[in-house]
Amino acid sequence: MSDEPAPATEAGDDTLTDAVGVFAPRGDELRTIAATAVVLALFPFVFARMPVVSEVLQGYQSLATLILIWGIFALGFDLLLGYTGLLSFGHAAFWGSAAYGAGVFSQHVTGSPVLMVAAGTTVAVLLAWVLGFLSLRRGGIYFAILTLAFAQMLYYMSSSPLAFITGGENGFTGVETTDLFGVIPLEAELPSLLGELLGNGMYTFVAVLTLLSIALAYRILHSPYGIVFRAIRENEQRAEFVGLNVWRYKLMSFILSGLFAGIAGSLFTIHGSYVPLSSLYWTESGEVVIMTVLGGTGSLFGPIVGAGIYLYVENIVSGGHPIDAIAPFWHLILGLVFVVTIWTFPRGIWGFFRDVRDYVTGGEDR
Amino acid sequence: MSFHIEVITVLLNGLQQGAIYVLLAVGLSIILGTLKFVNFAHGALYLIGTYAGLLLALEINLTSGLLSEWGYGQLGLGLGYIPALLIVPFVVFVVGLAMERWVVEPFKGRPDTDQILVTFGLAIIVQELFRAMFGSSSLPFSQPAWAQGAPQVPFLAVIPISSWRYYVIGITAVLVLIVYLLVEYTDFGLVVRAGTRDPEMVELLGIRLSRPYLVVFGIGAALAGVAGVVGGPLNPVNPTIGNEILVPAFLTVVIGGVGSIAGAVLGGTLFGLTQAILVSTYSAWAQVGLYAIAAIVLLVRPQGLLGEAEVAP
Repeated sequence: MSDEPAPATEAGDDTLTDAVGVFAPRGDELRTIAATAVVLALFPFVFARMPVVSEVLQGYQSLATLILIWGIFALGFDLLLGYTGLLSFGHAAFWGSAAYGAGVFSQHVTGSPVLMVAAGTTVAVLLAWVLGFLSLRRGGIYFAILTLAFAQMLYYMSSSPLAFITGGENGFTGVETTDLFGVIPLEAELPSLLGELLGNGMYTFVAVLTLLSIALAYRILHSPYGIVFRAIRENEQRAEFVGLNVWRYKLMSFILSGLFAGIAGSLFTIHGSYVPLSSLYWTESGEVVIMTVLGGTGSLFGPIVGAGIYLYVENIVSGGHPIDAIAPFWHLILGLVFVVTIWTFPRGIWGFFRDVRDYVTGGEDR
Repeated sequence: MSFHIEVITVLLNGLQQGAIYVLLAVGLSIILGTLKFVNFAHGALYLIGTYAGLLLALEINLTSGLLSEWGYGQLGLGLGYIPALLIVPFVVFVVGLAMERWVVEPFKGRPDTDQILVTFGLAIIVQELFRAMFGSSSLPFSQPAWAQGAPQVPFLAVIPISSWRYYVIGITAVLVLIVYLLVEYTDFGLVVRAGTRDPEMVELLGIRLSRPYLVVFGIGAALAGVAGVVGGPLNPVNPTIGNEILVPAFLTVVIGGVGSIAGAVLGGTLFGLTQAILVSTYSAWAQVGLYAIAAIVLLVRPQGLLGEAEVAP
């Protein structure tokens, strides 16, 4: 997904144009990705270092990184919930198993961040394949409960029978991360302007993967393959009648969603150098559900915004900023906002702003 | 301790743990089967039941939370366990009625994912409200003095478990039997069952379904409340107990078969016994075993052990 071939290719050779055709940008893709790249590059500066704004926000570098990590997770979750219409309550399984996978890999094989992400993501994808195969036998509410059950099973597996690998209740502490590509230290400040803008290597690494994830998700969702996902969400029966193998598309959507969760989970291990046991617990699945719905299902950037808001409340508001009195009740506030969102505005914050934009510009079709 | 005593102890412990699951699962199951409503806030009703029971039965001393900050650290009516057991079901019944009217009713026409999401959000709100009010530390909910000793079982030696566990099993058996008779042998039950099969037809015959639905939800909620009172003294009481019990309760419903009271009883008992047996043999696998059983049952028999047809999603 990372390597774009040379753009200028002569037409005529069919196989060559076909090969390029797959990678050629479609629609607004280049503009979207460029805009995302700019926002990602400015975000830590604005959030953690810009003179006035960062003082008002009280943001800090490591939280900016964490927001992007959870953003990738929520983005993948939205692929399943918002686009295919399947509500999983077991995504902690992929997030957590990737986190453990990356951690164990770093201890026993190599601590190269790129390879850790690859290892963790592989674990998550394989697991998503198996769990998706089992859970998708039933639809609707059963799917939610089955994914929940399998994820909980994994949680209890790592809590005691597998404690010799995972560290049980104490979490996995043996993470050993080396420098990126062997030269760029993750935690050290980048030189000059880069340091001012992006901060450290950790954020840069996460931001690049975020950008790639967004590009991948954009490409999937705007491909004919991704349009089938939406068709299934709108009317599963009709999609079936058209002759599509709905079950297979659902499984692929589940696996792709697991892929994003895997990238995010691995990054979480690199970021924190530690895997808590709670990363597999079902409330972790609940968190990504809240982020996605709060931000707005069925949109590319809504879930990332949702992740940002959730983590901001969890880390900054809970610390007594801006109002000290409400700090202990941050979780209650999130719950209230979540319920109000579902109740009155199921399309979330992003959907709200999109509606406002459409209203102002006079009903533009998205 | 001789071997057969040990076996009986494990089985009784299992039955007792199963009884809690049964109480929750019967409520969830009739709600899911009748109203086709997925209630992720059922654990929150259990939580309300536990705290209500604690405050009615005992006098407690709060050390953290808003109530103690406001000067209400000394809390609780200290009425004893019997009044608590009688009052709590009514309290939670009323909570259930309110929930049916203001949550279930508005979400009837929405997709089932929205139902799950909104009840999940409500569960968080209830949990966090209790945390804010009573603090997050565990509160002492002791077993009643008259139910602490190990009773003499006829023809056997003393089984080393408190008699409170026998009461839990007994109370569950009686309540589940009452609900079963209510659904199977009364006119009310007839309307409910008919509404489960074909709500449109029942309404065409001039029978209003909204009121039976309201009562069904209330009964389900009340059972969760009772589970909270009887289960409270067996575990530490803190705001997360509702979320912890929700997952096994849901699994009980699903492996028993949605809408089937007998299925919920079978599933809960199976879960309780499995857990107790594994705890006493391979304790590391106790929780995993529960989920493994659930997975196997669902893969072999997707409609649940005693379930008939699939509930339309």
